[in-house]
Amino acid sequence: MNDWLRIISRPWRDSAFRVLALALFVASLALTTVLLLRAELDARFTARGAEMLGGDLLLDSSRAPEPAQREIIKRYPHTDIIKFQSVVIHQDQLLLVSAKAVDEKWPLLGEIELSDARFGGNFRTLRHGPPAGEAWVADQLLDRLGLNIGDQLQLGQASLTISAMIRREPDQGGGFYSMNPRLLLNQVDLDSTGVVGPGSRIGYDTAMLSDQPGLLKEQLASTLRPDQSIEDVEYQLERSMGPLKQLTLWISLGVMLITLLCGAAIYLTTGLRVARRATLAALLRTFGASRATIIRRLLGHELAATLPLVITGVALGTLITGFARQALGWEGPLAAGPLEWLMVLLGPLALLAAFALPRLSALVQVPAVQVLNPHGSQNLRRSGLELGAALVGPMVIAAILTGSIKDLGLMLLLLAGFGVLLPALLWPLLLVLDRRSRHWSVTSRLAIRRLSRRRTTTLPLMAALTLAMAILTLAGQSGSGLLNEWQRKLPASAPNHFVFNLFAADQPVLQQWLERHDARAEPLYPIVRGRLTLINDVPVRDAVSKENDRAERALNRDLALTEEQQLPESNRVRDGEWHGTRAGEVSVEAELADAMALKLGDVLTFVGSRGEMQATVTSIREVDWDSFAPNFYFMFSPGAFTEQDATWLTSFWLAEGDGRRVAELMEALPHITLLDVNAILERAQSIVTQASQATSLLAGLLVAAALLVLLAALLSTADQRRNDQQLLRALGARQSLLRKVNWLEFIALGFSAALGATLIVLAAIVPLGVMLFAGNLPWSIWQLLPLAMGCAIALLGGVVGRRVAGGQ
Amino acid sequence: MLDAITLDVKAGESVAITGPSGSGKSTLLSLLAGLDVPSQGEILLQGKPFGSLDEDQRAARRGALCGFVFQSFHLVQDLTALENVMLPLELQGKANAEAEAKRWLQQVGLEARMGHFPGQLSGGEQQRVALARAFVVQPKLLFADEPTGSLDHANGERIAALLFEMNRATGTALVLVTHDPQLANRCDRQLRLEAGRLRSTDSDEAVA
Repeated sequence: MNDWLRIISRPWRDSAFRVLALALFVASLALTTVLLLRAELDARFTARGAEMLGGDLLLDSSRAPEPAQREIIKRYPHTDIIKFQSVVIHQDQLLLVSAKAVDEKWPLLGEIELSDARFGGNFRTLRHGPPAGEAWVADQLLDRLGLNIGDQLQLGQASLTISAMIRREPDQGGGFYSMNPRLLLNQVDLDSTGVVGPGSRIGYDTAMLSDQPGLLKEQLASTLRPDQSIEDVEYQLERSMGPLKQLTLWISLGVMLITLLCGAAIYLTTGLRVARRATLAALLRTFGASRATIIRRLLGHELAATLPLVITGVALGTLITGFARQALGWEGPLAAGPLEWLMVLLGPLALLAAFALPRLSALVQVPAVQVLNPHGSQNLRRSGLELGAALVGPMVIAAILTGSIKDLGLMLLLLAGFGVLLPALLWPLLLVLDRRSRHWSVTSRLAIRRLSRRRTTTLPLMAALTLAMAILTLAGQSGSGLLNEWQRKLPASAPNHFVFNLFAADQPVLQQWLERHDARAEPLYPIVRGRLTLINDVPVRDAVSKENDRAERALNRDLALTEEQQLPESNRVRDGEWHGTRAGEVSVEAELADAMALKLGDVLTFVGSRGEMQATVTSIREVDWDSFAPNFYFMFSPGAFTEQDATWLTSFWLAEGDGRRVAELMEALPHITLLDVNAILERAQSIVTQASQATSLLAGLLVAAALLVLLAALLSTADQRRNDQQLLRALGARQSLLRKVNWLEFIALGFSAALGATLIVLAAIVPLGVMLFAGNLPWSIWQLLPLAMGCAIALLGGVVGRRVAGGQ
Repeated sequence: MLDAITLDVKAGESVAITGPSGSGKSTLLSLLAGLDVPSQGEILLQGKPFGSLDEDQRAARRGALCGFVFQSFHLVQDLTALENVMLPLELQGKANAEAEAKRWLQQVGLEARMGHFPGQLSGGEQQRVALARAFVVQPKLLFADEPTGSLDHANGERIAALLFEMNRATGTALVLVTHDPQLANRCDRQLRLEAGRLRSTDSDEAVA
């Protein structure tokens, strides 16, 4: 035991080992935290995605699946859900509802959240649908028909008892509201309603669970009818979790950089360790030690001494993950499986293998004769193994980090390309400076030569600093861009209530109520329910391919149409121009336009409540469906709805408080539909806060890693700096000259790296803008970061460099 | 470490200091050159005391009046042979540094190697650059610490010959620390340092 303690503690006396150990610790900590947190996020994303979908896979049909498909489906846990539009009746009042009939196995995933009162009731969560004879309904249905829990309602020929109000459905899919309120019933009641018969337009969803959804999807894919489609969790996640995915991508990239920087620090300090231990290796060889003994005594002990650091880093990373889980309210065991834990341990070891072992292995090659030549260690040649490991190592770590190279592919390729290319470009620049410096003052010459004549230190250092600055700038810029985008969508006063079915006469009442309760209102949108019938005078059924799922869905229902002069903030015109002053213009959402092959100049005819409306497509818009703002497929120029019956839609922000204020509004305007999205907003806002804390932690670790590289470089050149300084003093140099040389050296280093980083950032900004920011070049103050970091390096190097050299 | 030493070195004189390892030769050299300050007593260079000067003043005085040749050459690795020789002149702010440096490199036979960096030169060549660098400031006093200690016999001979030849030609006083008795014999005077005290080898009496 004591022997082990001695072995583990001995290397700590060497300053080079201390920096190496710190670098390994930072890398282990960063790797562990990000790998464990990613496992948590992935597990939760997948679970949430599957929950929103209703299963691992969803077969979407317009009638029951074929017997051959049934054969496949019945091998897996599954549930059949029948969806249809119907009218419910209560005391001569009619209301179109979006009905969903579920079987006894529903829901396969997640829970349904119910309340026993419209306002302020008790909540409960259940893992089954309503019993026979009962219906669970959305709050809008209660409001619009003036019903209460316990009342009866008529669906077709059946009378159902309303036994609960739905607060949240598990398989709600993408949007958080639909125009028609939900009614949930048991499938056994379906026949007695008589609303679904042969030829009825229904949606027949079969949700399935499978450990291998890919395989199941493949089996079903070959049997699909034209009316059927398969949705999987990935598709669902793509739709709902886009921004979070991008953020995890940036976090992975940031950790990759931290790891590489630590790798650079390890590489530099290992070189120093090797130089300092070469004489010992030679001495051991002189005393007859075999190579195996040298490997065991020098390499083995070195590895043994670093292991506690790796374990501490892993332990602290696990602790941070635990705190993060607690803060986010995530329960259950850690999501990381054996593979993740293996990677957590493999990551730091891969780092050591790539950046330390090849250099350390030079100790095995030290000949005994070197014991007679104290300067022999300078002749330890770098092998091709080092270059190979330094190139392969980062790839392994990238693969460990991302899980798939595809995710980071383009960005890594770009940065790796510049990482190699840039030092190669900066090197000739340094050589030019080297030559030019012959004619410069002795101060400038000495400073420049320290960089240009020590390429094995300067190049990795410059590459590391350049990449650190570039990635920190890009990550900071994009990360803050994404966070700002989220915060813009989710400001503290983001609308937390949506109001539908508001009549023109209701507006003053709503206005007074809003003022009384200091609620902040958003714009009002007139809504006309209409169906697209003709495209360029061709019936839409003939004009649009029926095989297109999205188009089919849009055409199968009444759409909420609006007219508006202002382009909403969450929309961007992709083709054409936004409404001018003319009436009869319509703007179409881009994905729907593509699905229906609509183009500028097409004339569309809709049938609304009071006859036809015609408009020409003058613009095609990209819509941010994740924004907490009302969005529309079709937006007309003002004047289109003069002949139509319009209701109004608006949203507002209401400060936290009791349910009485909302109840007061519902009393004054009982026919309106009110949707409370506070729960969704709170969750989203907490994610934004956590994400911004995560980025701060990451930025801190990044800066620490960059400083470690600088420190390692200073340390590895300390002896030479000390000798030079003493020699210059002996030759009559003043202190001020030595100070100037030191400052100039780090100013040149800092600003060269800043220049390189700025070039990378400028080169990366174009593809980034295209990939993440819809073509907008994200100019920002972040682009000054390399310059600021250059100054910091100059300052730090200027101060620490002199201390390392001893100052005397 | 050094005890009651009084040593006068006259202009143009060459003095060898010998002694066993650890006797204080290097300490004495660093005190004489003003690299270090004595805890007691005083060092005068051309009649002016080092003790009253601050570090920068000592450096300036050293740069103007002294030259150095070390056992392990101590060339600045980042500078070419020519730049190494120019260095002391540039530190003094002399205008014709390059021409002077070239002249001295020619004198030591390295006119063809001026643009080479120390790593590209042999040990003997590096020591010749060091000699040129030491004489380029036309010092009143040259300190040489084991100047042939890192060289083979032939190269050592050549460097020693060059050193004494240049010493005579410039009239520079030479203080030479060495283990090599042959090298010491070529000096005008030999002193032996033992247990911190300096003795003349001729009279076998303490110098002070």
